[in-house]
Order: sequence, then structure tokens, then C-alpha cells
Amino acid sequence: MSSDQDQLKETDTEARFEFKKEEKSAFEAEKGLTEETIRVISEDKDEPEWMLERRLRALRQFQEMPMPTDWPGQPDLSEVEIDEIVPYIRPDIDTRGGVDDWEDLPDEIQDTFDKLGIPEAEKNALSGVGAQYESEIVYQNMQERWEEKGVIFCDMDRAVQEHEEKVKEYFMTKAVPPSDNKFAALHGAIWSGGSFVYIPEDTTVNMPVQAYFRMNSDGMGQFEHTLIIAEENSEVHYIEGCSAPKYSEFNLHSGGVEVFVGEGAHVQYSTVQNWSKNTYNLNTKRAIAEKDATMEWVSGSMGSKATMLYPSTILKGPGATDNHITIAMAGEGQDIDTGAKVYHNAPNTKSTIESKSIAKDGGRTNYRGLVHISDGAEDSSTSVECDALMFDNESTSDTMPYMEIEESKVDVAHEATVGKIGDEDVFYLQSRGLDDDDAKQMIVAGFIEPITEELPIEYAVELNRLIELEMEGSLG
Amino acid sequence: MSVLQETISEETVRELSEARDEPDWLLETRLDALEALDDVDFPDVIRTPGRMWTNLADLDYESMVDPFSQTETKEWEADEGIDVLPFHEAVEHEESLVRDAFGSVVDPETNHLTALSTALFTTGTVVYVPEGVDAEDVTIRTTMNGRSLFNYTLVVTEQSASVTILERQDSGEDLDGARYYSGLTEIVGGENAYVQYGSLQDLDQTTYNYQLKEADIDTYGTVDFIDVNIGSRLTKASVESHLNGDSSESKMVGAFYGHEDQHFDIDARVWHNAEHTTADLVTRGVIDDEARSVYEGVQNVGAGAWDTNSYQRENTLMLSDESEADASPKLIINNHDTEASHSATVGQVDQQDLFYMTSRGVDERLARNMLVEGFYVPVLEEIEVEELREDLTERVRERLQSRD
Repeated sequence: MSSDQDQLKETDTEARFEFKKEEKSAFEAEKGLTEETIRVISEDKDEPEWMLERRLRALRQFQEMPMPTDWPGQPDLSEVEIDEIVPYIRPDIDTRGGVDDWEDLPDEIQDTFDKLGIPEAEKNALSGVGAQYESEIVYQNMQERWEEKGVIFCDMDRAVQEHEEKVKEYFMTKAVPPSDNKFAALHGAIWSGGSFVYIPEDTTVNMPVQAYFRMNSDGMGQFEHTLIIAEENSEVHYIEGCSAPKYSEFNLHSGGVEVFVGEGAHVQYSTVQNWSKNTYNLNTKRAIAEKDATMEWVSGSMGSKATMLYPSTILKGPGATDNHITIAMAGEGQDIDTGAKVYHNAPNTKSTIESKSIAKDGGRTNYRGLVHISDGAEDSSTSVECDALMFDNESTSDTMPYMEIEESKVDVAHEATVGKIGDEDVFYLQSRGLDDDDAKQMIVAGFIEPITEELPIEYAVELNRLIELEMEGSLG
Repeated sequence: MSVLQETISEETVRELSEARDEPDWLLETRLDALEALDDVDFPDVIRTPGRMWTNLADLDYESMVDPFSQTETKEWEADEGIDVLPFHEAVEHEESLVRDAFGSVVDPETNHLTALSTALFTTGTVVYVPEGVDAEDVTIRTTMNGRSLFNYTLVVTEQSASVTILERQDSGEDLDGARYYSGLTEIVGGENAYVQYGSLQDLDQTTYNYQLKEADIDTYGTVDFIDVNIGSRLTKASVESHLNGDSSESKMVGAFYGHEDQHFDIDARVWHNAEHTTADLVTRGVIDDEARSVYEGVQNVGAGAWDTNSYQRENTLMLSDESEADASPKLIINNHDTEASHSATVGQVDQQDLFYMTSRGVDERLARNMLVEGFYVPVLEEIEVEELREDLTERVRERLQSRD
């Protein structure tokens, strides 16, 4: 733990730190999150009273809860500038997360956009420059088809107005209460934007619902809330985020995701995050799976300075299933601490967790996961597999699984391996005519294939391309 | 804050030290440890959201720790050619050896309970194996008679020395109320030396037990641990190897059998601090009735540890539905030239195996008991000391036979 902290400290000189402190004191009066700010946000959105009440309660919880600092080996969060948050969340202050001009973006981000071949308009939108990404037509087409089936897919703020009863019942009441952790409480107080997805009984949405197009309808979507309700025997695949880097001047992203998987329903939630490397990415994602339901999490974490993300599933009904596939890649200065949490609370429940991580150029990856099998959840099984690949001696790769087994009629297995990229594999590929870089890229592409094959083709292609870009720097 | 301010003071420690005619440096070490009680935390225990796997801070130390009632019966057996001495005899005859090694592997100020142990220990053993000497079957038997006992063991091996040790603890006559046993073991593994340190903890089930065993291992050296936990009400036992020399090795084997309301918190940790080092961690445990087991295994590979091999396996067998098994095998890898893996499983006696045996005419209860005994084979195979192998088998068999 101390070595990680030392490493992070080294990236910030004493002088810079001093400078920041001075700057803070000069603007003291405007800093800090207050009840008044929350009221302004809520009023601007014309929210019902109950939502304001929930925000205020979450704010109080946020203020009371201590910063999480005692997790073994956790990323250093001391530079999360919560006091700087106000200008980025207040609708009456005209400073959003993005920059005003494309040229103001850091070079490395401009560069990545160019290399990924992302269109100009989209570049602007994704980078938060302010232009809206015009995908309305695609979106409209999808929407009409869904509406016929009674499917709802809309902006979370709109859902509060138009689907109030459902939102009131499910929003941060059952899956992610604000009291869960300090950042869930913060999220509960200042959330904005995100998606609301409702799939009626016996309905299958046979194309992925992509939040990609909507990401920028409200500022940077740094505190977006996603609520997915899949009724009995329905099926949906929801995709959020994208592999293009997202830049914000404010360094905290704290989203919330709640998924309700009804009896016999099937939900897949896929996300690839590539926040710019100044961002602290601290999310709370949780699903509740009823009888015979299936929840699948597919997560890729490429960006951010530090990520703490552990999508969790509560297997509440007998026969429920959870699958996790996670991939993490950490380069210079990055600390990607991700994993999974599964609670087996009913008999015959099943979970599988597959984690792949790549650490290079002094980056750190950590798999941190918890599997809990409650007393009475008999005939349940869980299998966890973690594989880590290390490129060099500056990097760190940790694995920290926790298993709590209160039931004896279970099958619990955990396996993990860590190794370097195989010299023999590289040699073989070189002997077939590939150069060193291409050989290593191909090995990495093969290593992460279990995740790319779960994604729609355009995402998979983009993800692979992105990893190539990330590796170019390291292999040079 | 020390939990024991009412019971122990500087005077207590001075009195213990004076009664044993200790040199000043030892008294100073004890007093430093006493002072550190206020500053150091209890041993690390795992926490997950809403749960603490073992609660050491809230034990009633006041009622269990009685510094002046420490009484025990001790037996030593050893070959010719090496020194196996009661601690205070060693301080008298081999003062410089003890002084150099004492606290060099286990820092007395590691945590609250090591500091307490250093301040209050009254008995112990020093095993010294000179260069090139091959010593087999050192046996140290301790029977605890009082309310509390603080024990200390130091093993020093010179270059190319070799020794096999069994250290065991059990309890004498019954006492009303809870008891406390604390044991620290330091092993200095010399260059190209070999140590197998086996331990059998068979204390009565009113005893709260804290043990920390640590080894520093030099170039080409090997220190293997066999850590067997059968007794006690609650145990927190850590076995730790520091692979400090190139090509050093450590095998860390653990076995436990918990029943009734026993609670075992077992840690195995290895630090790869040099090149070409190898570690193999194997733990097998059975839990029955309302017993609870907690296991943490940590493989820590340092940035300079090129060409590391590190393996860890932990398997827990649950015989009862009221029991609980928690496990956390961890990898901390800072050098990419590493082959590391770990695995952990929790489950019941394999139903197919059971079916096969009953189909061959073996009574179901007997079949299950045979499978449980067989579960320990990977541990038994590693044990070089016959007494430990036999006693582990015997204790497992007794517990199985006492089941309905």
C-alpha cells in the first residue's frame, strides 16, 4: 500500500501541491457542497419534492461518512477535489466539465481521437466541448420500434417527470442506497442525467440499447444514474460508455447503476470506460436478480487515474445466475482497482467471474472481489478466475479475492494466475514473420478475447484499436 | 491504548525480568514493547462490507492475562551436537547469539499482541544449529497450566545446517473461565540451511490463542512450515516467510480441524525479496458444527524478485451446515518475471466419491470419515516428524469418531 501511495505522491511535486492549497483558500467562500446547491439543482430540473428530499438526505449521509481509506492497497483518493465540485454541478454557473474549445484539450486526447478515426462532431461531443452529437435519427428509429412493445428508454431526468411512480419506487431505494458508500451518497445528492430503461414482461429487445448516443445530453454525465428494470421473462442488452477517451477538467466521475432483473429475465450490462487520465472513477453498480433470472456484467476499464469499481449482483431468487467478465488495463500513473461482488442469497444460484488484467509502464491493476454465499443458499456454485499479464518490472498486479461461505452444500472455486508476456509465444510469432510489437499486440488481443467477443462488433473493433494505441506507447 | 492498563505496568515487566535475572538489553526490549502497546494496532483482520472476519480487539484480555500466574511444563528432546536450551539458560550461556537474533525476525512492535507477548513472556526455547550440523527431531512440548502463558521460540541455523523441529502446545488441568496463550517464533535460516518447523497447537477449548511465526531465509536456504491447529476456542495464527536470499525457498503447509464453536483465523504470507525464489503454500482445513474458519494467504513479489515462482492452494471442507468458511488468497506482484498462481475451494465431501465407496459396501459414515482423513494426505505427505504426522491423524480420527 505504501509503495502505491509513494508512487502516486511522486507524480505530484510538493511545489504544485502548495500552489493548489493557496488557490483553494482564495475561493473559500464558493467552495463546498451545501444544501443550497442541491436545491438549485433540483429546482432547475423541476423535480418533485420526494426527489429533492432524497438528494438532501444523501447529502447529509455524504457529509457524515468518512472517506474510504482503510481498504488494503486501495488507490489513494487524497487528490479527489470534492470541494471543487460546485461549479461543475450548478446549473446557474456556466462552467461544465468540458472545455470550450477543441484546441484546449490535452494533446494526447486529441491524438487518440484522430487515431481512432472518430468523426469531428462526435469528437466534440465525447470530449465535452459542448456540441451535441447528432444521433437523433438513429435514436428516433430505435425508439419507435421499442415503444410499440412498451419499452421505455429515456433520459433519467425525463423519467423522473414522465415515469414518476416507477422511478420513485426503484431509485436508490433497493439496490444502491446512498448509505452504501461515501461516493454513492455523493451521487445520490448530485446525480444528473443517465438512462432509464424499462422492459415489459415477455419482451425481448434484440438489439443492444446503447447509451453511447445520449451521453452528452447533460454536461459531461459525470454523475449519471442508470436504472434498468427488466420485468418477468424479458431480455435486454444495455451498453454504456465508449472506448474513446472522455475528458473533463473536474477530476471525479461517480456514476450509479441499478438493475432489476425480474423472474426469468436476462440483462446484460456492458461498459467500456476510458476516462482521461486525470479522473478518479468511483462508481457503484448493483443488480438484483429474481428467480431464474440472469445478470451479466461486461466491464472494460482502460482510462482514469484511479478506478474503484466492483459491479455487484444480489442473487435473490432461487436459480438466479450471475456472470461477470471484467478487463482492466493500467498504464503509467494509473491504478485500476476493479472486481466484482456477488451475494448468493437463495438456493441453486450460480455465479462465474472472469477477470483479465494488463499492467504496464508502472501501472497497477488489482482484482478485488467478494463472493458471499448465505446460509440456506444450498446447491449454489461459484467460480472465479483471474488472469493477469505484466509487461515490465515497474508495474504492479494484485489479486485480492474474498470468499465468505456460510452454506456447506456449495461448490466454490477460485483460481488466479499472474505472469509476464510469454517469451516463447513472442518468439513463435516472430518466427512467423511478425515484429516484436505486433506479436505482443496479438498476444494481448488474444488474452482479452473473452471480453471482446461479448461486445457488438463495432465496440470490439474500437476496443482492440484502443489497446493497440495504448500499447504503441509502451512498446515503442 | 493498551487494553491492559489495569493489569500491567512498567513495574510488572521489571518484576518479571528481575525474577529471571535478565540482562539490561532484554529488559529494555520488554519495556520498549510495553510502551509501544499504546501505539500499535491489533493484528490485521479482514473486513468486508458490514463484516469483520475475526474480532481480536474486543476479547476480554483483562480477565485472561495474568502475568504472574504463568506456569507450564516443558520437555525438550534433541540430538547431540546442537543446543536446545530453555530461553533463560540460553541468555546466560549464549548471550551474544540470543541478543543478535532476538527481535531480528519478528519485530516486537509488529502489533499489539506481539508487543504484549514480548513484554510479558516468561518461557521459551532457543535452538542453535551450528554450521554444517545435521540435526533431526528436535521436539519441544509445552503444557500450559496457568490462566495465561506467553511463550517464545528462537531458531538460529548457521550455514549449511539442517534441523527438523516439532513444537507443540497443549493444556494441563482445567480452569474455570477463558485462558490466553501467546507464542512468537523467530527462525533465522542461514545460507544453504534447511529447517522444517512443525507446530501442533492442541490447547483446550477455553483458550484464546495468538501465534506469529516468522522466518528470514538466506541464500539457497529453505525454511518449511507445517502449522497444525486443532485446539483453542479462538486462534489467530500467522506463518510468514521472508525469502531474502537468492534461490531461497519456503513451503508453508497448514492444516486445521475446527468443530463446536471454534474459530480459526489462519494466515500464510510470503515475501519474495530476492531472485530465483520459490514458495509453495498449501492449506487444508475441515470445519464442523458451528466452527468458523478464516484464511488469508498472501504472496508478495517485490520489484527486485526476478524469476519468482509462487504457488498457493487452500481447500476447506465443510462437514456441517452451521459452519462458515471464509477465504482470501492474495497476490501482490511487483515484478513481471514471475510465475504465480493461487486457488481456493470450499465444498463438502465429494458426493461421487461417497457414492463410489458406499456402492463398494462401505458404510456411509465410515466412507465419509475415510474421505475426510484422506483430505489431509497432501499435508501429511509433507510432514517429516513422525510424532506430528501420527498425532494429526489421531486427532482427526478422534474428532470424526465423536461425530454422530
